[in-house]
Amino acid sequence: MATKSNFKRAVPPVVQPSVLASLRTAQLVEDSKAILPAELIATILDYLPIPDMFSFARTSKRMQEMVYDDTRWIQRLKSMGCWNEVEARQRFEEAMRRKIESQRAKEAEVAARTGAGINGGIHGIARGGDEERKISVTLFDAGLEEDMQRKSLDRKVRPRAATLDKGFDDMTLSPAGNSASPQASTQNPGAALKILSRVRSIRGLARQEYGKIYGALSPYYFDLARSRSHTDPVLFRTYRDPEQQAQMLSQLKTFSKSDFAQGWSQREEKLDTMMGIFENAVLREFEQGNESKDLDGRMKRYAQVLVTLNGGAAGVDSFIHNHRLMLEKENLGNPTDCLRNTGPSQISLQPSHDFFEGLATTLNEEAAVIDRVFPTAIDVLQPFLERVGEDVISEYITTLFDEAHDVSIEAYLKAVAGVFEQALQLAISLKPTKGSQSNFEDEVFRIISRCFEPHIDLYLQEELDFFKRKSVAEVEAWEKRLSEEEQTTETFFMANVNRQAAKRDFLTSFKKVVMMPVNVLPTFGGASSSKPTTVIPGVNASTLETNSRSSTPIPGERPASPRPEAPTSELAAKAAIMNSRLEGIRSLFSIEVALNLSHTAKASLERAARFVRLGGQSGEEAKEQCENIFMSLLQILGDRHMKPGFDKAVNHLSAYKPREVVDHSKEGVAPLVAFLELVNVGDLIQQMVDVFYIQELVAANLTDRDDFVSQALKQKKRFEQMLDERVAAGLNKGIDVLMDEVEYLCGTTQTPTDFNPTAGSNGIVEMSDIGPSHTALKVIEIVSSHTNMLVGSTDKNVLDVFNQEVGLRLFTALCKHLKRQRISVDGAIKLISDMNAYNTYIVSLRNKSLTEYFAALRELSQIYLIDPNHAKEIATIIADSDRYHGIFRAEEVYEFAERRADWYQIKPQVERQMYGVGCLVM
Amino acid sequence: MAATSADAKKVTLTTSDNADLTVEREVAERSILIKNLLEDIGDNGDAIPIPNVNEAVMKKVLEWCEQHRKDPPASQDDDADSRKKSTDIDEWDQKFMQVDQEMLFEIILAANYLDIKALLDVGCKTVANMIKGKSPDEIRKTFNIQNDFTPEEEDQIRRENEWAEDR
Repeated sequence: MATKSNFKRAVPPVVQPSVLASLRTAQLVEDSKAILPAELIATILDYLPIPDMFSFARTSKRMQEMVYDDTRWIQRLKSMGCWNEVEARQRFEEAMRRKIESQRAKEAEVAARTGAGINGGIHGIARGGDEERKISVTLFDAGLEEDMQRKSLDRKVRPRAATLDKGFDDMTLSPAGNSASPQASTQNPGAALKILSRVRSIRGLARQEYGKIYGALSPYYFDLARSRSHTDPVLFRTYRDPEQQAQMLSQLKTFSKSDFAQGWSQREEKLDTMMGIFENAVLREFEQGNESKDLDGRMKRYAQVLVTLNGGAAGVDSFIHNHRLMLEKENLGNPTDCLRNTGPSQISLQPSHDFFEGLATTLNEEAAVIDRVFPTAIDVLQPFLERVGEDVISEYITTLFDEAHDVSIEAYLKAVAGVFEQALQLAISLKPTKGSQSNFEDEVFRIISRCFEPHIDLYLQEELDFFKRKSVAEVEAWEKRLSEEEQTTETFFMANVNRQAAKRDFLTSFKKVVMMPVNVLPTFGGASSSKPTTVIPGVNASTLETNSRSSTPIPGERPASPRPEAPTSELAAKAAIMNSRLEGIRSLFSIEVALNLSHTAKASLERAARFVRLGGQSGEEAKEQCENIFMSLLQILGDRHMKPGFDKAVNHLSAYKPREVVDHSKEGVAPLVAFLELVNVGDLIQQMVDVFYIQELVAANLTDRDDFVSQALKQKKRFEQMLDERVAAGLNKGIDVLMDEVEYLCGTTQTPTDFNPTAGSNGIVEMSDIGPSHTALKVIEIVSSHTNMLVGSTDKNVLDVFNQEVGLRLFTALCKHLKRQRISVDGAIKLISDMNAYNTYIVSLRNKSLTEYFAALRELSQIYLIDPNHAKEIATIIADSDRYHGIFRAEEVYEFAERRADWYQIKPQVERQMYGVGCLVM
Repeated sequence: MAATSADAKKVTLTTSDNADLTVEREVAERSILIKNLLEDIGDNGDAIPIPNVNEAVMKKVLEWCEQHRKDPPASQDDDADSRKKSTDIDEWDQKFMQVDQEMLFEIILAANYLDIKALLDVGCKTVANMIKGKSPDEIRKTFNIQNDFTPEEEDQIRRENEWAEDR
């Protein structure tokens, strides 16, 4: 198909009209259409300058249609960002609605259209008659015609079109005049200044709207593109005010975006150059104003100009860059001051406090200046703060941290956490300017956070390491001290102390201290006060309110001193008392060490927890590290400290041989007492850990107590489990030891005459007293004192199991003991007293099965009381298993009966009775 | 065509007048049409028929492709902005486009058909340059457009768009 083209050669592309003159035939037109389809012509049109487009439009109706195509002009408006699709749709829908209304009113759409045409025509004539020179009338007509074509608008739209018409009067003036002479464009320069903001988005009228802009701006634009120097352009002669010049330049910049024709890049470049020159000139003025501190005069004016020109970025840059804060940042403070004038490996945060205070004052002053100088349209403070963050704060803290790190880790840790807190205070104390975004505070916080981010990883690692090192050192120091001291077996029995009350008291103190913020960080005052420039000097109680743990301070108990000694003094005293009470287990483990450890952990945690607020990855890492600190606390406390203590105590227990101990004058079994005390203390420490966990980790939102995969929680469980295991193992051994002791007592103190008193000279047994024997009292005392020690320190279930075991073993021991005795009828009274005493004790344990055992034992003891003359009765009692609740079988009772002193005398009778009766029955 | 099948790097194109042109595949693939074709049918050595382009034009187009073989592939998103970013015609292309008008239009059509965006752009720009600065009459002459306006109608268009005149 293409081969049929009849075009002749046209070289070079700039075609001579004469060459092609002979080719004008009607047939060729058809061919040209065939050769270049509409889409290609449309593409070509895109590359045409505007005036040539209309030359092209005038060639034929089809071409006109293409040039006038609304989408082409909407695209241009869009390229300048002047097209508002929503607005256009609203207008269109409005028009449709009116159209439907009018349809209802009128007979037919055709009729309406005709009417519109007539009205338009009349209108056009009327306007045309008014003034020949005004082309706006025809423009309006054309617009209306197009509307008719598109069938989108109606006569009803006319009121709106009329306003457009008015606008056009203004707009078309300048280009019309401009065509005569460049000076004519000054005719209405004021209207041109606002041209871009007046653009409306109307479908079907995009060409006209673009025409307004083009008419107003293109003369300046092309003039500027042609000009050789910055004095040339008409623009600078038309507009004298820098504000107006900036406004125009800014509009031209936007306008240049709709310039698709070839050479646009050169034109835009030229425009940029001009703008650059202009900007520099304005900037110079601005800087001079800045130097002379002419805030409300020159600075303000030229800031406005710069903002109008291109958003004022250059002005903001210059303002920030030349700011005295940047140039004289040394004046604010020297980071190394914090390390001077303090003891070795100590750090004073006062200088950094001063630094941030100074910075806050300066920044707030600056915010005021910015408010005065810059228009509210731009946010100057934020880029300014970002620069301050980068250049001033980052530099300061980096130097400080590096120095501190070199001095000592502890100083470093304190510096990081302290300075971070101070920086946050700074963030809070900053006031936004009028131009600031609504999220100003978040942004400030982000800026501060970014300063600290590079330090956090190292810090958190060091914090954990530091804690571990310190804790291990603490435990080791204690172990060393212990090994140096002679290992004493001296024990101190805590029998007379109300254990539970003492523990409760101690725990209350501990809780108080845990909830108290560790006030190692002098905070930076003045936060959120209404006058941010005034800073509360130094550190006082009120600054605590802004501390991170604001939820916990207890009014009235808040210490006035910043040092941590004060809040802990009460606890320290209690701990000392506790410690002296627990002298007996001194060699095993120390509650003091546990306290110290938890205190160190608390300090570390509080420092690290501050960084959780950073959010994001750093925040998560901080959180993780807090859990790690807690976990290492548990590990060190549990595995390094308490476990060996328990193990040692258990070993002592197993090594205990009652018979090898010479001195039995003391009450209780020494290693068991020690162990039970240990259980008490272990329980105390566990409760301490629990309080610590809840207060420090859960309350501070560092961990979720319901999160079952949480490592901290797992470790805590493991810790508790370890304690339980040790306690269980110890108790097992403890029971053995206790029973050994009981047996030893029974074996050594029970005299044969206790239950078999020798007859006196008169043949009557002398009963000195009727109470229980000395041995029984002693046994009860020793057992009860040990079981009582456990009350309140272990789980109720554990205690029950323990008691039951103790009771059963005691029962066995007593049975064994009984079988070794020989009991006379007279001695039986003593025995029954003994058994009653045992029973009374066992009943006090409130353990049902145990009670039965001992009740049976008591019943059993009555067989000794029966007079030998009633051997038959003895046999009955032996056979009566109901008496013993099934605990003793007849054979067993029989064995006990054999222990009667007169057994051999009554044996035949009893046996005969038993078996004889038995045979008889059988 | 079978002779070239041994060389995987080459492809054969058969033009509308049945001429076989063998070119390197990379060159031919400047045309998105050919590129997609090759991807779809696979390179089995068969000649690719190009029924809409004759030999003379095809040679010209391939000459351009040869010159621009190393150009980065055209971006697929051809929105309004990519047109804006199109630069002016470079020197080689200007010389290349110094052909008679018939050939110029043929090239544009071929570029359009073969989907060679850069070449199409260059062609359209060249045509735009030809139109630039001409009166409607001259344009009509150049492109053989029949004037179906009355002088009044034509004048009305001029007046309607007076704002665009005399930049």
